[in-house]
Amino acid sequence: MRRGEIAAIIDLNEDVHDLLPLTAHRPIGTLPFAGRYRLLDFPLSAITNADIHSVGLFMPESERSVQDHLRNGSAWNLDLIQGGVFLFPYVATRDYNDPKLRERYYENYTQFLRRSSSKYTVVMGAKNVANVDLNAILAYHKVSDAGITAVYKKMPRAWVHPTDWTLSLSEQGAASSVIRAEDRPDESGETVPVFMEIYLLATIDLIDLLDTAAQTDEFRRLPQLLREAVLAQNANAFEYTGYLARIDSIPRYFRANMDMLTESNYQSLLFSNIPILTKSKNEVPSFFSKESVVTDSLLGTGAYVEGQVQDSIVFRNVVVHRGATVADSIVMQGSKISAGATVRHAILDKGVVIGPNLTIEGQPDHPLVIGKNRTIFRVSELEGEGNA
Amino acid sequence: MATEMLGMILAGGQGTRLGKLTKNTAKPSVPFGGRYRIIDFTLSNLSNSGVNTVGVITQYQPLELNRHIQNGASWGLNERGAGVTILQPYAASDGEKFFEGTAHAIYQNIAYIDSYNPQYVLILSGDHIYKMDYERMLNYHKAKKATLTVGVMPVAMSEAPRFGIMNTDDTDRIIAFEEKPEQPQSNLASMGIYIFDWAPLKKYLTESYATDGKMEDFGKDVIPAYLAHNEPTYAYAFHGYWKDVGTIQSLWEANMEFLAPNNALNIANRNWRIYSETEALPPMFLTKTAKVNRAMITDGSYVAGEIDHSILSQNVKVGEGSVVRDSMVMPNVVIGKNVTVDHAIIGEDAVVGDNGEVIGTKDKIAVVGYGEAVGRKEKA
Repeated sequence: MRRGEIAAIIDLNEDVHDLLPLTAHRPIGTLPFAGRYRLLDFPLSAITNADIHSVGLFMPESERSVQDHLRNGSAWNLDLIQGGVFLFPYVATRDYNDPKLRERYYENYTQFLRRSSSKYTVVMGAKNVANVDLNAILAYHKVSDAGITAVYKKMPRAWVHPTDWTLSLSEQGAASSVIRAEDRPDESGETVPVFMEIYLLATIDLIDLLDTAAQTDEFRRLPQLLREAVLAQNANAFEYTGYLARIDSIPRYFRANMDMLTESNYQSLLFSNIPILTKSKNEVPSFFSKESVVTDSLLGTGAYVEGQVQDSIVFRNVVVHRGATVADSIVMQGSKISAGATVRHAILDKGVVIGPNLTIEGQPDHPLVIGKNRTIFRVSELEGEGNA
Repeated sequence: MATEMLGMILAGGQGTRLGKLTKNTAKPSVPFGGRYRIIDFTLSNLSNSGVNTVGVITQYQPLELNRHIQNGASWGLNERGAGVTILQPYAASDGEKFFEGTAHAIYQNIAYIDSYNPQYVLILSGDHIYKMDYERMLNYHKAKKATLTVGVMPVAMSEAPRFGIMNTDDTDRIIAFEEKPEQPQSNLASMGIYIFDWAPLKKYLTESYATDGKMEDFGKDVIPAYLAHNEPTYAYAFHGYWKDVGTIQSLWEANMEFLAPNNALNIANRNWRIYSETEALPPMFLTKTAKVNRAMITDGSYVAGEIDHSILSQNVKVGEGSVVRDSMVMPNVVIGKNVTVDHAIIGEDAVVGDNGEVIGTKDKIAVVGYGEAVGRKEKA
């Protein structure tokens, strides 16, 4: 494919409320995932794989962690002579009653799109974790009559939450609207077409949408504009069949990580034809002592394990001391579990220290979340801790 | 800005004593310790010591080495106006510039060195495992007003006959050099690390090739000439972990020593990190049937078998029912089901089929070569 045929917009302004405290200082896009990734790695890897050379990253309120992960984009081959990653600062708190500011909002997008000189634009976020082939979506788009292609996956009804975005599909497979699951008319069928919040359309059409919106008095953000466009003109619907997780709450975040302990999910998301790229650190290999017992787990590098780890996701540089047990948990980078401690059904954010012989335990469906850099020496320190 | 000290790594040797492992690759690019290649130690030492301009002299099977080093960015050696340059033999109007020896390799690259106009040249070999601050050695070189400083390592007297031994006076000035002496006078073994003042070295080399007294080798020719001409030549003693991994046996031993958590190399020390070219691989996966003890495992590996006192490099698969014991497994190796690997080194991209056996002993390490497929041996 010719380089530069597609431009990409990644919007990192995603609702973080139900992921607190993990999202107190980071957007959904930089949530750690599966022992070594950040969620942003998935859209960026899809972009790299499709040879996209212009990427507009619309920054969330907490920008620092995005900048720190992204650096110059070289991990995704996006440190290009022409193009590369363009960062747009957070604007969501501005007062859009002011027409000048409203204009700026749209102009940020249109300026990026015009300069990309791309024919098509893909718009995506970070909270839908998937391994998508954007070239396949483009090929599908080109042979259809519709101006917009929307990407969905059929998910079991039980998986779907009332507020999830879904597609209304016509019998011919076109999408007539983007609606919340709770607003769907009663229907039978075991699956629901869950919308992955990925759009592909001609760049010139997207510029038109934004320019038109800029001339009205009502302020509408890009996601709303795109949903309205689907309603107005019907979209081509592309069915994705690989692994999908939607990270918008603590239980879903926990479940998605645990999903990676099932080999078929791990293979399909992380070992497909599209490699998931991420920033590499020069960590030493992980070390397992004579007494260690580690099963059914994913581990990053630089770990030092003397104790037990079962059914868990362990990020880099984690220390599990002698006699300690980590089970059914997510332990992020640089955390330390002291001797004799037990951590079960929990999520430890980065740099957490659990004191000796403590037992930290959540519920299987409601993991206990311990915020970044906390040191816990007594169980009483956890009182009133928000069980998600 | 002129470069004060230029690093030159001699990475052209074949490493014949590594047998199959260096059949198609140069010794410095042989994998070590799960996620490194041997040359990473030297390159990281240079970067950590603030030596930002480095020539890597290659000759034997350089493809994998070139691919590994690329532009030096993995070690932070990609600054503008500095960085890593791969120096390969080339044909010129005055003949082909293949390298006949260590000093000859430097002689053939005088133009490269002169282009940076360095005051000092640091000469290193790319096949040792150690952490060393070359800046401290340079400070010593300056303080002694030396024109040559040789890095030496005190070894056990019984070991001394295996090395090039420097005899020094009580100011650490080298008064004699003996290659593998039967009756050593000292226990200071040359590490093959030299700091030279560039101007006199260039003069010695140029003059030797202008006449008949060709200086091909540092140990055999250059150091004796320096001593004969009374050049101020000093020994700089290094105290720390240092291992020559030139043989299968020593490569295996060094890997096993690396595995000890209190290893003198202290690999996990973040103040002197060893960098490598890294690939974004998925996290390692240990399945329900995995049993992993006294082991080092690296990203992308998938373990369903038993790993006892062994190192698995990146992207290694170990099937169910297999046992890997006292072994070093290089990147991208596939070990099938019910395989036994014991006291072995398994080369990159090798495959050990189901029910296969690769069994060596402490004194005779079994080796599977790069890309070799073995096993599928039916058990009686």
